[in-house]
Amino acid sequence: MNSIHVKHKWEPYLWLLPSLLLIAIFVVFPILIVFKLSFSEITPGGVIGGFIGFQNFVEAVHLPPFKTVMLNTFWWVLSVVGLSTLLGFIIAMVMNQKFRGRKIARAILVFPWATSLVIQASIWNYIIKYEYGSLNSVLLNLGVINQAINWRTSYPIEFIWECGVGIFVTVPFVAFCVLSGLQSIDGSLYEAATMDGAGFWSKLWNITLPMVRPSLTVSTVLNIIYVFNSFPIVYTMTKGAPAHKTDTMITYLYMLSFYERKKGPATALSVIGFLILCLCAGIYMVTVMRKEETQ
Amino acid sequence: MRDPELKRVNRRFLLLLILGIALALILMSLPLYSFNAAVYVKKSPNTFVGDEKYLAAMEEVESVAAGYRDQGFDVEISEEALERVNSKGEKTSLITFTIQESFSKNLFSFLGCGLASSRVLTLILILLGLALACALLGTLVSMDLPQRSLPRRTALLRSLASAALLLALLLVPVFVLTNNYTFSRQISLYNKDLLTEGKDLLFAKLDRFLFQGGMGSGIDNALSQMQMQTSPLIWVLMPALFLSLLAAVQLRRGSIKSALLRGLLYFFVVVVCLITLFPYYVMTITAFRSNAETLDMYFLHLFPTEWLWKNLTSIIQRGVPRYLLNSLLVAGGATCVAMLCGIPAAYAMARMDFKGKKAFLGFVIMSQMFSPVVLLIGISQLMNTLRLNDSVVGLMLINAAFNQAFAIWLLRGTFVSISPEMEQAALIDGCNTTGALTKVLIPMAAPGIVTALIFVFINAWNEYTISTVLISTDINRPITVGITQFSSFNMIEWQYLFAASLLATIPVVILFMSIEKHLTSGLTSGGVKG
Repeated sequence: MNSIHVKHKWEPYLWLLPSLLLIAIFVVFPILIVFKLSFSEITPGGVIGGFIGFQNFVEAVHLPPFKTVMLNTFWWVLSVVGLSTLLGFIIAMVMNQKFRGRKIARAILVFPWATSLVIQASIWNYIIKYEYGSLNSVLLNLGVINQAINWRTSYPIEFIWECGVGIFVTVPFVAFCVLSGLQSIDGSLYEAATMDGAGFWSKLWNITLPMVRPSLTVSTVLNIIYVFNSFPIVYTMTKGAPAHKTDTMITYLYMLSFYERKKGPATALSVIGFLILCLCAGIYMVTVMRKEETQ
Repeated sequence: MRDPELKRVNRRFLLLLILGIALALILMSLPLYSFNAAVYVKKSPNTFVGDEKYLAAMEEVESVAAGYRDQGFDVEISEEALERVNSKGEKTSLITFTIQESFSKNLFSFLGCGLASSRVLTLILILLGLALACALLGTLVSMDLPQRSLPRRTALLRSLASAALLLALLLVPVFVLTNNYTFSRQISLYNKDLLTEGKDLLFAKLDRFLFQGGMGSGIDNALSQMQMQTSPLIWVLMPALFLSLLAAVQLRRGSIKSALLRGLLYFFVVVVCLITLFPYYVMTITAFRSNAETLDMYFLHLFPTEWLWKNLTSIIQRGVPRYLLNSLLVAGGATCVAMLCGIPAAYAMARMDFKGKKAFLGFVIMSQMFSPVVLLIGISQLMNTLRLNDSVVGLMLINAAFNQAFAIWLLRGTFVSISPEMEQAALIDGCNTTGALTKVLIPMAAPGIVTALIFVFINAWNEYTISTVLISTDINRPITVGITQFSSFNMIEWQYLFAASLLATIPVVILFMSIEKHLTSGLTSGGVKG
C-alpha cells in the first residue's frame, strides 16, 4: 500500500494547483505566444500584425545563414553529446575503481558541472588567446613549442574549440550519471562472470553496458536537450562571427530577434527548434514511461 | 611461492629497475639541447636568385664559411629571399645569407653550471642513485624470502627506492620548466647588440657561461643572436623513470601487471583532474594578477608575482556586490517558489491516487525538456505584458517555473522511497494531510529536499540567457550578466572578469559538492522507484 487515503476527490488537484499554475503561466503560455507570433506579421519595430500563414517560415528558411546554422547545430549536438558520452563513460568506469583519493577526484569532477557556462566560456576564451593565452604560455614554457601558436585561425577551428568547451562542461554530468548506474551493479555478477572465464571486454559488453543503459539513456537525452539549448558558450566565444558561420540555432535565433530585428523569422525558427525538442522529449518520455512500467 | 621461482622473479625486476635507470642515464648523455647562433650575415639587395650578383654573393659567403670550417666549426649556410615592389613599381629583391653555427649539449654538461635547472638535475641524479642503492640493498638481503614476510629494514629500503624514483619522475617537468625559463630569459637579457667581435671565442665563452658557471667577459656579445631549444626527447625521460618506478613498486609487492594497471589508473585520474582544474587554476591566479601580467605570454610563475587583493576592492567598487545580491535574490526566491509549488505537487504524485496522474507526470517531464532559451521571444513578450521585464521578481518566477519539473521529479523520487506507514499512522491519529506532510514526511525527506533545493538554487544562480534578454538596467543584473561588463569589444579586463567570476563560482561549487551524490541517483533512478 503506497498511497494514503484522501477525503475528497478533488483534494489531489488542489495539491497540484500551484505547480500547475506556475508551469502554465511561465512555460506553456510563452509556447503559445511563440506559436502565435510565428504565424503573424511582425514589423522590424516589433508591432504585431495579422495572420500571414507560413510566410515567416519561408523567410526563415531562405535567409542565407539558415543552412550553415542548421548544419552547425547538427554537428554541435552530435559531437558534444557523442564525445562527452564516450568520455564520460570511460571516466565513470575509472572512477568506479577503488583507489586512494577517489573522493577528491570526484569532488574535482563536480567543478565544470557546477560552474556557470558563461564563466567557463570566458576562461577558455582566455586560455586559447593567441597573444597571451595560458595554453601557449604553458606549452612555450614546457618547451613543447618554440613559437606561440594561433589556436583560432579560422572559423571552423573556432567552432571546434566551442565544441571542445561544450564537451568539457558536459562530461561530468554523463560521468556522474553513469557512475550512479555502475554503483548499483551487484559485484557478485562480475565474480560469477570471472568464474566463468569472461574477460574484460566480455564483462563490459554483457554486464556493464546493459546495466547502465537506463542511466545512459537518461543522460544522453537530457544532454541532447541541454546541448541543443546551450547558448552561453557560442555567444561568449565568438558571438557567431563571422557572419553566423559559427552560430548554432539558439544563438542565431537570439541574434536574429534581438540584434537584427527580424522577429518574424526568429519566431519561426523557435517553433522549428521547439518541434525538434518535442521529438526528443517524446522519445525520452516513452523510455521513462516504459521503465516505470517494467519496475 | 617456491624459493627458486621467487628468486627468479626478484632478479627479473631488479634487472628491470637497473634497465630503467640505465635508460635514464643514456638519455641524459644524448644531445638534448641545441644552440643556434648566426656568426655571419650578408644582405645583398637587388639580387635575384640565379643572377650574377647572386652568384658573387654566394661565392663570398662560401669563402667566409670555409674560413670557419677551417677553424673546426660546423657551420651551415641558409638563405632567405624577400621580394617586393617599390614605390616606382619596380620589382626588387633582398637576399640574406646567414652562416649559422649550431651545437648541442647533453644533460650531464649542465651539472654544476650554476643555473637553477642544473640543481634540479643534480637532485634527479642523486635520487636515481639513492633509489638504485636502496633497491639493490633491499633485494640482496631478501633474495630468497617470501614477499609477505620481508624484514622491516628491507621493506623500508624498498619503499625508499620507490619514493626516490617517484620524486625523480616528478622533477623532470620541473627541470624542463625552470631550464627553458631561465635560459630564454638570460639569453634575451643579453641580446642587446649585434655580433661584432670575438666570433672565434663565441662558443668557448658560451660554454664557460653555461656549463662552468663562470661569467666570462664579453658574454653579452657572445650571447646575442643565440637561440636555445630543448629537444622534445627530454620527455622520454619520464617513461624511463616511470618504468623504473614500476619495477621498484613491484619489488615491494604485487605483480607487475597489477602495478602497471594501477599506475595507469592513477595516471589517468591525475590527468583528468589536472585538465578539469586547469581552467579554475587559470581563473584563480589571473584574478590576482596585474593587468600587465595577464597580457604576458611568458608569465610562468605558478602564482602571481604579487597577489593583488586590490583587484577585489576594485570590482566591489564597480557594482559586483549588487550583482551578487541580485543573483542571491533571484536564486533564493526561485528556490522558495519552486519548493512551495513543488513539494505539494510531489506529495500528491507520490502518495495520492487520482485520475490524470500519468498525464500530469507526462506534462511535467515534457516541461522539463524546454530550456527557456528556445522560448526567449515568447518569454520576453509575456514579461512585457505582465510588466515583469527588467525586474528581479520576473527572473525569479521564470527560473522557478523552468526548474519546477526537476524539483518535482527529485522530490517525488525521495517521497516514494520513504514508506508511507508513518503518515498513515498520523492520519489515523486524526492528523490531516497537511499535517502528515509537514510534521511527518518533510522531516524524514529532509536530505532529498535539500538536494532539490540546492539544485534549483544553483541552476537559477548560473542562469545567463534569460537574464541577458530580460534585464536592461545595470542595477538589476545578476552576477552572470554583470561580469560581462568587464569584457567590452576592444578591451577585456581579465583580472576583474575573473575576480568577479571567482566570487560567483566558489559558493556554488561548494554547494554542489555537498549534493552531488544524492542528485545523480535522484536524476537517473530516484524518480522511477515505486
